[in-house]
Amino acid sequence: MTNERCWHPDLLRRFVPTPYVFSKCDGPNRFLVESNDLEIALGVRHSDIVHCEGNRAGGLLCKVIRDHWAGPIDGSDITIVSDGFLRILYMGRGTILIHDRERSELLGFIARRVQVQELISSLIPTLLNG
Amino acid sequence: MSFFSIDQTDLNYSMELCFAGAGCDLRTNSSELVRVLEGLSTSTSGTVLSGFKMRLVVDESSDEAAGEPHFRGLHHVVMASFGRSNVFVFDILRRTLSAGVSAAVARDSSLWKEKLIPITLGVLGSAMGLVPVHCACLELNGDGLLIAGASGAGKSTLSVALSEDGFNYVSDDWTYISRLHDGIVAHGTSAPVKLLPDAVEHFRSLQRLSLQRSMNGELAYEVDIAEAFGARVERACEPRWLIFLERTPGAEAVFTPMSSAEARSYVKSSVERLPPQLHEAAATREQTIERVAMLPSWRFRYGGTPQFGAKELREFVVHRRQEIHV
Repeated sequence: MTNERCWHPDLLRRFVPTPYVFSKCDGPNRFLVESNDLEIALGVRHSDIVHCEGNRAGGLLCKVIRDHWAGPIDGSDITIVSDGFLRILYMGRGTILIHDRERSELLGFIARRVQVQELISSLIPTLLNG
Repeated sequence: MSFFSIDQTDLNYSMELCFAGAGCDLRTNSSELVRVLEGLSTSTSGTVLSGFKMRLVVDESSDEAAGEPHFRGLHHVVMASFGRSNVFVFDILRRTLSAGVSAAVARDSSLWKEKLIPITLGVLGSAMGLVPVHCACLELNGDGLLIAGASGAGKSTLSVALSEDGFNYVSDDWTYISRLHDGIVAHGTSAPVKLLPDAVEHFRSLQRLSLQRSMNGELAYEVDIAEAFGARVERACEPRWLIFLERTPGAEAVFTPMSSAEARSYVKSSVERLPPQLHEAAATREQTIERVAMLPSWRFRYGGTPQFGAKELREFVVHRRQEIHV
């Protein structure tokens, strides 16, 4: 036993490095995109609907992780859950997106099989436009 | 696509509950789920922590049992799914669990007791100063004993042997610690004791039970200690000592004092790293960890049977109690 801190493995994948970062400030609003996948980062950066959401007061922080570690996909049905400030899109193991309206954050994981085009044109609009 | 709004669902059933000393404001649309959770709750008079909210919507049309668990987290949110019909979202900043579950999961008391309540406390506890520590906890005449050690050190078999030797059982694998005034309180959740297959050599009553596959894939006996061994169960106690268990090959029992720095390091290694968004929760948690580290700590090296270790530990506790009272 040593005095050095020994953390648990990051089983929740909370600390996956997100080297692809795009940031834009417009007055008090900050639009920030973070991802571990360049294609996702670029797709979200250029998404009209995300930009529209980001232009609202408070801006928007988007952190979307390509989930390389999820097990076998267990379905492709979309379930939307809404509670208070949170709205959650779940599409089987590996794909879950969360929009926190109060904190202006869009967070989530995307399964390997989900194309960026589907994320941008379908999943994010479904999440934000409910 | 299915959609449900927890806000707009009639959550007709509400109840104040208490788990591991944390108050829980439950709202749901299922009377069956209220009955299950009420059966697992301790008396709300034992609430020592500001609480959390549970908003649970039961889909009565779905009878899908809990599937393989899948966990992810970002910032202040942790997601867990157990198959398509059972999705849990933990909002740590707002201390809220929002979930949609099938009717089969809603009525599965064992699943709530063994998995879902401990998971909820583990995730949301950080915002309430409730620290999950990887240790067992037993109590003798009002004095609690935390038993820590690496996986495989024999915490569970020693816990069962101590229970058979007059100790009250609080917890086996995970103990939830909260602060109370100047001290700390250790809470259990009545989760089952997990014993590896070779435990049957020391506890013959296991022979009539069958091995089960646990969440981490291990084959083990997962038993209710009161039912299987007739142990007395306490939901909480005030810990007096922290014991670090180490096995030795020979039949011996040696106690040596340990520093608070070593104790602190162990407890910190039990807890999850928190993201920067939860810095206040991390600070609250540090204060609780500091209190645990200040407990008198001992390394207990023993070999031989769990019953031998329990006898030695019992004598140690009796001796230390006399010192406290003197």
